[in-house]
Amino acid sequence: MLTFLFKRTLYALISLLVITLIVFSLSHLSGNPLDALLPDDATPQQIEQVTRHLGLDRPIWVQYLTFLQNAAMGDFGDSLKWKGQTAAEVVWERLPATLQLGGLALLISIVVALPLGVMAAVYKNTALDAVATVIALLGQSLPAFWLGLVLMWIFAVMLGWFPTSGYGGLSHMILPAVAMAWFQVAALTRLTRSAMLEVLDAEYIKLARVKGVRERRVVWKHAFRNAAIVPVTYFGVLAGSLLTGSVVIETVFNWPGTGWLAITAIQGRDFPVVQTVVLFFAVLFLLANLIVDILYALIDPRIRNT
Amino acid sequence: MKLTRIAGVSLAVLLGTTVLTSAQTITVAMSPPSVETNRYWNTPGDFNLGPAMQGLVGHDPVTGMYDNSGLAESWSHNDDFTEWTFTLHEGAEFHFGYGPVTAADVVHSHTLHTGEDSTLIGVAQLKDVAVEALDERTVKFTLPRPQIDFLFAHGGRGSLVIYSKAQYDAEGLEGYDTRPAGTGEFQFVARNIGQGLTFERVENHWSGRDAEVERLVLRFIGEPATALATLLSREADMAVLPRELQPDAINAGFEAIGSSNAANQTAMLFNGTFLTEGDDKLDPTLPWLDIRIREAINRAIDREAVIDVLYDGRASILPVFGMDPRHEGYREDLAEMFEEYYGYDPERAMALMAEAGYPQDFENPVIPILSSNLAGNPEFPTMAELMQVFLDEVGFQTEIVELDWAGLGALRRAREARLFHPMRNMPVKPSAVGIGNYYASSGRPNVNYEDPVIEELNTLYAASTDPQEREELAGRIFQQAFEQYAVAPLASLSAEIMVNPETVAGWTFPGVTSAGISHFNLIEPQ
Amino acid sequence: MSRRALRRLPLVPILLLFLVLIIPAFLATWIAPHDPYISNLRARLQPPVGFGGSWDYPLGTDRLGRCMLSRILHGAKYALGISMVGIAIGAILGTALGLISGYLRGWVDVIIMRLVDITFALPSILLALALAAISGPSLGLVVLVVVFVIWGFFARQVRAETLSLRERDFVARARVAGASGGRIVLRYILPNIMNTIIVLATLQIGVVIILEATLSFLGIGIPRPAPAWGLLVADGRQLIVSNWWISLFPGLAILLTVLSVNLIGDWLRDWLDPKLRQA
Repeated sequence: MLTFLFKRTLYALISLLVITLIVFSLSHLSGNPLDALLPDDATPQQIEQVTRHLGLDRPIWVQYLTFLQNAAMGDFGDSLKWKGQTAAEVVWERLPATLQLGGLALLISIVVALPLGVMAAVYKNTALDAVATVIALLGQSLPAFWLGLVLMWIFAVMLGWFPTSGYGGLSHMILPAVAMAWFQVAALTRLTRSAMLEVLDAEYIKLARVKGVRERRVVWKHAFRNAAIVPVTYFGVLAGSLLTGSVVIETVFNWPGTGWLAITAIQGRDFPVVQTVVLFFAVLFLLANLIVDILYALIDPRIRNT
Repeated sequence: MKLTRIAGVSLAVLLGTTVLTSAQTITVAMSPPSVETNRYWNTPGDFNLGPAMQGLVGHDPVTGMYDNSGLAESWSHNDDFTEWTFTLHEGAEFHFGYGPVTAADVVHSHTLHTGEDSTLIGVAQLKDVAVEALDERTVKFTLPRPQIDFLFAHGGRGSLVIYSKAQYDAEGLEGYDTRPAGTGEFQFVARNIGQGLTFERVENHWSGRDAEVERLVLRFIGEPATALATLLSREADMAVLPRELQPDAINAGFEAIGSSNAANQTAMLFNGTFLTEGDDKLDPTLPWLDIRIREAINRAIDREAVIDVLYDGRASILPVFGMDPRHEGYREDLAEMFEEYYGYDPERAMALMAEAGYPQDFENPVIPILSSNLAGNPEFPTMAELMQVFLDEVGFQTEIVELDWAGLGALRRAREARLFHPMRNMPVKPSAVGIGNYYASSGRPNVNYEDPVIEELNTLYAASTDPQEREELAGRIFQQAFEQYAVAPLASLSAEIMVNPETVAGWTFPGVTSAGISHFNLIEPQ
Repeated sequence: MSRRALRRLPLVPILLLFLVLIIPAFLATWIAPHDPYISNLRARLQPPVGFGGSWDYPLGTDRLGRCMLSRILHGAKYALGISMVGIAIGAILGTALGLISGYLRGWVDVIIMRLVDITFALPSILLALALAAISGPSLGLVVLVVVFVIWGFFARQVRAETLSLRERDFVARARVAGASGGRIVLRYILPNIMNTIIVLATLQIGVVIILEATLSFLGIGIPRPAPAWGLLVADGRQLIVSNWWISLFPGLAILLTVLSVNLIGDWLRDWLDPKLRQA
């Protein structure tokens, strides 16, 4: 088990190293921060001066090694766009907003998807199954930005139930969270449905039925409990989609989280912040999957050997 | 049981935070600035602390002319415009008890703005300038070369905003980051990254002109549809909207308030037209090096349709990009000849193309049209498509190239932006600045057109301190640009903001800042 | 095809898919009433029929006076083309690497699976934004991002199935009979995972079309003036109140296509996947 743990951690670290290299070279290839920072009338002297000030005149590999060395110490450099703050501070400050929104979205998607998936499985191949499937699929069949805007127009402008946008309390979070959750509902419903189908077919369920246990009890107590484990594995994937989903929704709803931050930083060519935010999510993703791997290995010893 | 109670309480708390609005608060929805910071010198010039911070020179809200509503009560210059002396208002003081505004604050601010981390627009006007405090209230700027437009560096889109030296000495830059003391009619309350800024009225302001609005909130919203939604749902009292969304607001009972003067000029540039002998950045295959092609493209554009499609019909045709009646060298005759030289005439365009041997005699006949997004000019992508429609109609081969504004910036900095691309002049800058930015090598690297005639005129113009001679030279430069079809000028328009008439009775602003709006103290609430 | 599978054939989705995506993709030039690129500035922002518009432009016109119906019909080419090309490249790449990984195991497997981890860990949207900043948005970039996003799913799935198949008797027999590794993989393993690949590929079409729209929203999708659906929705989103038809109809095209493709994919899985077939 210890070797397994060691090997997996080593893999994750190597992946991370490659990721730093990719992220660093991409962000530096994508142009010069000066292009976004300097005004249209910048003079050659001003360009040269700011280049030197930002340390962009050093060879690229020197910049990479410096970056790596500092990053290992937790120093990701100073933000170019949000002057006076380090990149880590900028990302750290935006994180709670993303986690709040992502958390609520996750909650909504579970609350909706689990019953929907169970229903679809129990009433397999009936109209109910079809309706549940279509509802679940709707969220994945519309561009999230458009769904978000439509929700905003109906529920904030026309009905006035919620604020249109901006950072704030629960009422501000509902619309963006629903737009975000709807997308996840599809995958989660499907997983729940197929897991339930498999379990409902198992011997012990048949046995329970034969014994005369009531159907509702069979479904919710015996089957669901066992099927619920499968969707849990989905959360590893979710960690990765959290940022991707938040980029669009946070932009539409003006929610100042890390997704909004990432896109603003790229447009402003703020390398330190771009690198920090991407690395942060990469670490999060690798960590989540490492934990899932370890959990699996604990449950099923055979995996350790593959 | 316990759990539900906690949930209920926290729900109430969360919901409660959203209903804290007072009647005297005016909220303005606008595009986010490119850099969110309290340090003006770290921005490219789009600064949102305008309600709280001031420069030395102010503007008349109606005419837009320089006046002493800034920190300087009066100023003077020597005969060759190399020495400028400003006298500060007596009694001008910083917020939060940082004391009176003195000449030392001006010297200190100048040092900050011209430091090596300065990314500020137009800061060249302040570089190598010696600033000297003659006494408490008098400060002298000694310039290395004459600058007739020196006041521009101190006005609404200026490059010098006055910060408190006392605050700096006490708290350093961190003091500015957390709560900068300004001198304006509003004082800083809070900055929420990605959300906006909050200001409150200064009671008994030193200028004697207290703002009418108690609290001012600037709300940054990048998505235009979202900005419209905040206005229609009455979360915002005012919103800066793209022109094409304005009818939606007007239909819902909102009203447009425009700047009292033209605030913006737009054009399509024939970038890479470097006609001075031996320019190594000249690409000889550029199709528009031939003046007949430049004229043909100009003739192919139906500018009235442009104004209808892009500006909801509220703009006027611009005769020369960079030229404006308020500034040096305005030539009425060019405006009058516009129809004759530039009027929409597809047949003439086709004749010119045939005469130039287009496309068979061109090694590279394709016109690359740039589509880009620039905050504040959301019409640029549509503009690119519209240009393509016009050019296709007369038989040009075109392609649309997409790049973000920073990407275009990189190409321009290398003088390799070989594109037919959109540009704006906002606010409309003094002629010398505009000529440098668009037509003369003095503005390198970001210049799109250069020719020997303008080079010669501009050398004389830059050196001249005689107002009459300058007027004449600037006019001749504009004439040359006009006759050479150096760019495709499109429209001249005012900055507009949509307001809710139930909460805002009126507002006058001259359109002299990068964001278009200013003079927040003149907002009249209902 | 078994009788039961046939009985549950998703007729409505298949019909919709042909109507919205496949027929327009091939026949747009003949069935579209107008040229999708020609603008009529005198007929800007015309509403659709039934909302004050005329039959000249059944679904109205956009801000440059181009026929929305024609643009949507021609847009099908982009939707179909990008999904076909992107998924083909992604599937071939992912399958090849998955087969190699699962069959050879050892350090090759370790490296390939780390590559999969890395692509999953890198946020694709940010990668796309960075790439677009380098070279500007283009059709090629969209395809590249599609490949980047989907190849890992194929690699992982194919590897898992290869791992279990290579232990099966018929593979062992082939090995004893002296078949080379390449031959075993191509003759014995690949045919057995074809079904999985087909199902996976079908389900990715929806992912690709939505991805294209998301990229357009961020300004890095298929360059204008191409009438790609995602670009049409993204471009029309500002005018969602008064000129709703500009974004609604392309949005519907996306919705119907993705929905149909997913329903067909579900059915294919039920039919082709051996485990569910028994159920």
